[in-house]
Amino acid sequence: MSVPRVPADAPPVIEIDSVVTRFGSQVVHNGVSLTIRRGELVALIGGSGTGKSVLLREVIGLQRPNAGRVRLLGTDVWASDAPALTAMRRRFGMMFQDGALFSSLDVAANVATPLLEHADVPADLLGPLVDLRLSLAGLPAEVGAKMPSELSGGMRKRAAIARALALEPEVLFLDEPTSGLDPITARAFDRLLQFLCHDLGITVLIVTHDLDTLLSIAERIIVLGQGQVVADGTLDEVTSVDDAWIQSYFSVRATYAAGDPRARPASQRPDGGGHGA
Amino acid sequence: MEAPTRPASHPLDPLVSICRLELTDTAAVLHLSGDWRLDALTRLSGALAQCDLARIGPRALVVEGAALTSLDTAGALLFLRRVVQSGADPASLQLRGFDARHQRIVDVVRERLGGIGTRPPKPVRPLIASFGAHLVELGRLAVTHVGFLGLTLVALASLIRSPGSLRRRELLAQLGQTCVTAIPVVSLVMFLIGVVVAYLLGLQAAQYGANIFVVDGVALGMVREFSPLLVATVIAGRSGAAFTAQLGTMKLTEEIDAIRTLGLSPEQVLVVPRVIGLVIALPVLVFVGSVLGLAGAAVVCSLMLDITPTTFIDRLQDSLAARHYLIGLGKAPVFALLIAVIGCSMGMTVSRDTRAIGIHTTSTVVQSIVAVILLDAFFAVLFQELDW
Repeated sequence: MSVPRVPADAPPVIEIDSVVTRFGSQVVHNGVSLTIRRGELVALIGGSGTGKSVLLREVIGLQRPNAGRVRLLGTDVWASDAPALTAMRRRFGMMFQDGALFSSLDVAANVATPLLEHADVPADLLGPLVDLRLSLAGLPAEVGAKMPSELSGGMRKRAAIARALALEPEVLFLDEPTSGLDPITARAFDRLLQFLCHDLGITVLIVTHDLDTLLSIAERIIVLGQGQVVADGTLDEVTSVDDAWIQSYFSVRATYAAGDPRARPASQRPDGGGHGA
Repeated sequence: MEAPTRPASHPLDPLVSICRLELTDTAAVLHLSGDWRLDALTRLSGALAQCDLARIGPRALVVEGAALTSLDTAGALLFLRRVVQSGADPASLQLRGFDARHQRIVDVVRERLGGIGTRPPKPVRPLIASFGAHLVELGRLAVTHVGFLGLTLVALASLIRSPGSLRRRELLAQLGQTCVTAIPVVSLVMFLIGVVVAYLLGLQAAQYGANIFVVDGVALGMVREFSPLLVATVIAGRSGAAFTAQLGTMKLTEEIDAIRTLGLSPEQVLVVPRVIGLVIALPVLVFVGSVLGLAGAAVVCSLMLDITPTTFIDRLQDSLAARHYLIGLGKAPVFALLIAVIGCSMGMTVSRDTRAIGIHTTSTVVQSIVAVILLDAFFAVLFQELDW
């Protein structure tokens, strides 16, 4: 991908400006600034305790930063009135780490909830629309009748994506989408995210630890460390940054690849660039 | 997910400008224009209905999308679905003039059309069938509890052979939680019940100048019935629910499996201390409840019925036979065993669902209270027949 897929002048979707977050005396973010543009597929990484998930929660309005500004889809998340925030919330989707499906509703009702609450869908189209969301997330329509407790981990995450996709979001946030999944399911998940971004034009921000996800689908990687953005760019740009954590993080994979040719990153395999659900 | 900015309101253009069907002898062209998005779905659906797609008949259909300003998967689903419902084949449908991104969205939806709407509707159980199902469920529950009672008794019996295996620290912790910390709430409840009962009896007795008999009535009622029953109800809500929630959470986080893997018995480690703890705690609480209930009655007697506390106590010693008191106290450990077994059994049978903890906890409280009242009624008849 030599020509950037997303033009540099695409409108910004997420703008984070000098955000400071403290928990008691512990400083998590000490002036984090970054901009994500429409159509990008961005991975946010960093060691444990660098505040990746906290930053995500601050962007979507769940946790207030101590200082700084966050704009999501043009709305100032921490300085807008309730109607503006409600309007903004309909325009993004969030997948929580374990899915956070409503355990008292079956999967179809979970996906239908945002549609019933926030959209005016003709009655005969609600079922098909729910099925389409499930299908976009890679689930067959029959899964809709199951309860969340009957699903495997991977299916629960897919169902959560289907719910996040319900209102045709412009931005999709995912917290650790591949954690706890077997490698095969995890790679299928990567392709799903790529499909959502490339084919449906959704801006995707992933918080992840999964090296394979980074190597195969992330077009831009943002590294958090010491309360700052340590590196921001393509895989090559990030790996060339002289930072102890980055070097040791990516060297894990380098050791692997040197010893075992099968451990090449998926993007270098012939079938690596494909997508589908 | 389409246009960067969404218009605040849709212009009130006539529906014709959203979609229009053009028919020739052999071909049909469906012109789409404007915003085809989720937030306008009802309006779009109405516009399509006005086009009357059934007119297409056997003609080859072309969809013309050059005038679309935006399209999302919901919009694409709407027109594809309506086309299918009118009898046309979505596979032979031709797209013309679509912008590359819109084309991709239509393709994505079109290739998924086959699997959509195939989910069978949920079967609705008729009233009688669901009544029967609930009865069967209730029967199963009773069998589970009896089985669990057996397991608990076996675990208790094995304590007799090896008393050292009793978890003393856990037992003390349980006694602290179920007994000591329950004393304030039990005291308050029973004191107030004593006040209410003495007041109501006093109102009646005073009419006949039989004030002193209020003491007899309150004493008998309090130690024999009210205190065991009400304290057991409070404890069912307090400790029974806690047992279910604690064990249920441990079940979900696989702590109970871990206990088994370490070669320990969850009945021995978790259930026995709770059962023994509650069987010791409830009589103590019933005693405290009786005393406070009588104290409440004494206060009303002295303020309203001119019975001094000294007279109250004198009369109490004359009228209250020891057997009433012993029957009241004797019921307590039986109620305690019932509450503890139901609470633990419901906790241990929580499935892997977080929702189940809430359901089981609620169910524990209901079952315990109903069971305690049933048993109390049984005792009342039994002691009546035995002339105790």
